[in-house]
Amino acid sequence: MLFTELILAIMKAVNRQRTISSPYHLIKGKKSGQTIQDIGYFGLYPYFGVLPKLDKKAYDQAVQRLFSQGYLMANEQVIDLSEKALELNIRASSLNGWKYRGNENIFLSRLSLIVQTFSHISQQVKSFDPVVTDEEVQSWVKKYLSRIQFRDLAVAQAFKEELLTTLTDTEISETHKMILMERLTGFGLSGLTWQQIAESKNLSILDAQLMAVEALHGWMAAIERSKPQLLIGLMEGIIQQSSLTETAQRTEKLFDRGFSLEQIASLRQLKSSTIEDHFVELAMNDPYFNYTPFVNSDLYEAIIAESKRQKTKRLREIKEHLPEASYFQIRLALAIKEEQG
Amino acid sequence: MNLDELLYSTYGFSSFRPGQREIIERVLAGEDVIALLPTGMGKSICYQLPAKVLPDSVLIVSPLLSLMQDQVAQLKKMGEKSVVAINSFLKPEDKEKIWSKLHSYKFIFISPEMLVQPFVKQKLQQIRISLLVADEAHCISQWGFDFRPDYLRISEILPSLRFPQVLALTATATDKVTEEIKEYLALEEPYVYCHPMDRKNIVYDTKKFEDGREKIGFLKDFVLKFNGPGIIYAGTRKKSQELSLLLTELGISSAFYHGGMEHQDRVFVQQQFQNGELQWICSTNAFGMGVHIPNIRHVIHFQLPTSIEGYVQEVGRAGRDGKPALATLLYAQGDEGLLESLVMDDLPTQHEIEEVFRHGAGATHLIDQGIVRETAFRVVSYWITKLPLEGVVRQIEQLRIGKRHQAAKIKELISRQQCLRKYIVESFDQQLSEKPKNCCILDGIDYSNFEAFSQPQEKRLPLEWQDRLRVILPI
Ligand SMILES: [Zn+2]
Repeated sequence: MLFTELILAIMKAVNRQRTISSPYHLIKGKKSGQTIQDIGYFGLYPYFGVLPKLDKKAYDQAVQRLFSQGYLMANEQVIDLSEKALELNIRASSLNGWKYRGNENIFLSRLSLIVQTFSHISQQVKSFDPVVTDEEVQSWVKKYLSRIQFRDLAVAQAFKEELLTTLTDTEISETHKMILMERLTGFGLSGLTWQQIAESKNLSILDAQLMAVEALHGWMAAIERSKPQLLIGLMEGIIQQSSLTETAQRTEKLFDRGFSLEQIASLRQLKSSTIEDHFVELAMNDPYFNYTPFVNSDLYEAIIAESKRQKTKRLREIKEHLPEASYFQIRLALAIKEEQG
Repeated sequence: MNLDELLYSTYGFSSFRPGQREIIERVLAGEDVIALLPTGMGKSICYQLPAKVLPDSVLIVSPLLSLMQDQVAQLKKMGEKSVVAINSFLKPEDKEKIWSKLHSYKFIFISPEMLVQPFVKQKLQQIRISLLVADEAHCISQWGFDFRPDYLRISEILPSLRFPQVLALTATATDKVTEEIKEYLALEEPYVYCHPMDRKNIVYDTKKFEDGREKIGFLKDFVLKFNGPGIIYAGTRKKSQELSLLLTELGISSAFYHGGMEHQDRVFVQQQFQNGELQWICSTNAFGMGVHIPNIRHVIHFQLPTSIEGYVQEVGRAGRDGKPALATLLYAQGDEGLLESLVMDDLPTQHEIEEVFRHGAGATHLIDQGIVRETAFRVVSYWITKLPLEGVVRQIEQLRIGKRHQAAKIKELISRQQCLRKYIVESFDQQLSEKPKNCCILDGIDYSNFEAFSQPQEKRLPLEWQDRLRVILPI
């Protein structure tokens, strides 16, 4: 997937209901109520936080290009997708941002350091400058290596074999796989910079970076499925047990212990609106979320019906017809998974 | 105790480099020492070796994070485990462990801003410190090219540490700067070791052009005539990228390097250069710290450097192997303009001074909001604790004069009529003992030593991902 395709895929999904800056916040993985809630509304899970270091300028440039190439059109308040954009066949992506939460970088760092170590010791070079300087990764890798008895050449061979097999089985393009290999370093062959990778493949730097994340997500999923003996170890701590943000988890704990929304806000010294965001997030993630403490079931039904009637998820338009509902109640109702309603 | 044996058992070297033995002997004799050793002359051995003998911890104050990380990495690579680095990137979960066993670390690296935090200060008071090392000590000088206000704060902590023995290390310092180091570190009668600044195997060249286009033309011819490895220092990030592209188009392997790149990419470029996968690095002054490549043959300055000290440091990265190296300074008419803006841009403006005054030294939101630039903020917030508004303004004006003076000294490099080596050496208040045969452009240069060009070999990089993996893991 190219970077501009990513923007278009998101704009398609939000279907004229969000501004052009919403893909930016989503791609960066902003943990605001709005972004988190949109993920549920519009099914944007794959794209969450896939490029956390995305630069606003680079994003704006890409958007400008989409306008000038006729993919996007400004139509009064909303951004429309042109026919050309709607017809564009965006390739299936292995992105899974909501699940991996940027931890693919930890996976890749561990892998780089392990591969670099195997590369050197298998060629009788004992000392080298570690390509990963993060101390946490270094000490993790040290433990991992001693656990798998890395000095045994057979172990190194098995590791390489697993790498080859699982990556071969991953359904991503050869270019994707090459990009991953080019980020690895061995004895006498250093990793390549994004610029070098992008140039050799006629891509932009953002494209190359996005493809790397895509490749990692696809590969990690394949590793989770086939559970190869050595590689599966690298997944340790990569997948968060809860898909909630940490701060929402804390709110959830307090709520389970019987505190009310207002009490939680004052206990945590946060604004009520922030705690409201957390409940929206909880509602999104928990199919059995009990909404009745916040909105009675009649009002809930009315909100859902109004949203369906108007074919919209815009809060303001719903509220115009249901003035008795608060914005929080509308957001909460919309966040709840459809099957429950 | 036998120093040679210690050196051999620790590093596997059979002899000291010039200066190291004198410095280490004085340190072990309990004297305060100021050591001026050019980069690449094994500065760190001067405290690492004594640490093997001294009973307690060695506290190393290091003003540059990258340098600190590099030294920690070097120590760890040598198998030293008792090392800790205390800086603002410390993770909360590690802190407790570090504080509770602080006394047990042999090497404690710390950044100046951490040093003066009351909590840290208190923790340091509770342990025994055999030696305080002030690394890059010239940063303490407000006249130096690298002034870091935080660094002045070392002097504030010395009393509470009961004035430990001090080793001040620096690669460059004039007499004036040495005096300031003495004063701020409260060193009464330190032993001062001053290594000759002059590197005999480096040949100093300058080239003058009518305009930028001529300069580019020269560079193109140059890289087609001379082999690397070499560094081309460009004044800006953008320029470093442009120059690298230019070389690549000529079929010469090169990459750019600057502080705007992500950390991993910078590591890659550094390793590519170290491995000989690249001939040239086009870089801002961000490149060089912690780079250990002995055979760099060329350092080219595409723009005027901002100070003689900086110039000497950058040039000094060439020829660490002792073989001839060429330093080429390029100048096109009008380049002073860029120099002026590079030099002066860092200084706080009147407006910035007033803003920091109004909001106080803790008002870091001024940086976030883009009202005051980070360096300017650091400089002003140091001075407002010491001086009234007018005093700070005057102080900054002094700095401006100092910087202008530095820039003037650099400009002289290109207008000079006599030996450049002599000029450079004398800028550091040293005397030139004798000139090498191949000295500088004004004494005439014999380029035949350097004229070696091999057609770049067609790089055969693996084309398929499986091939690349097989090259990395040939097992
Ligand atoms: Zn000369």
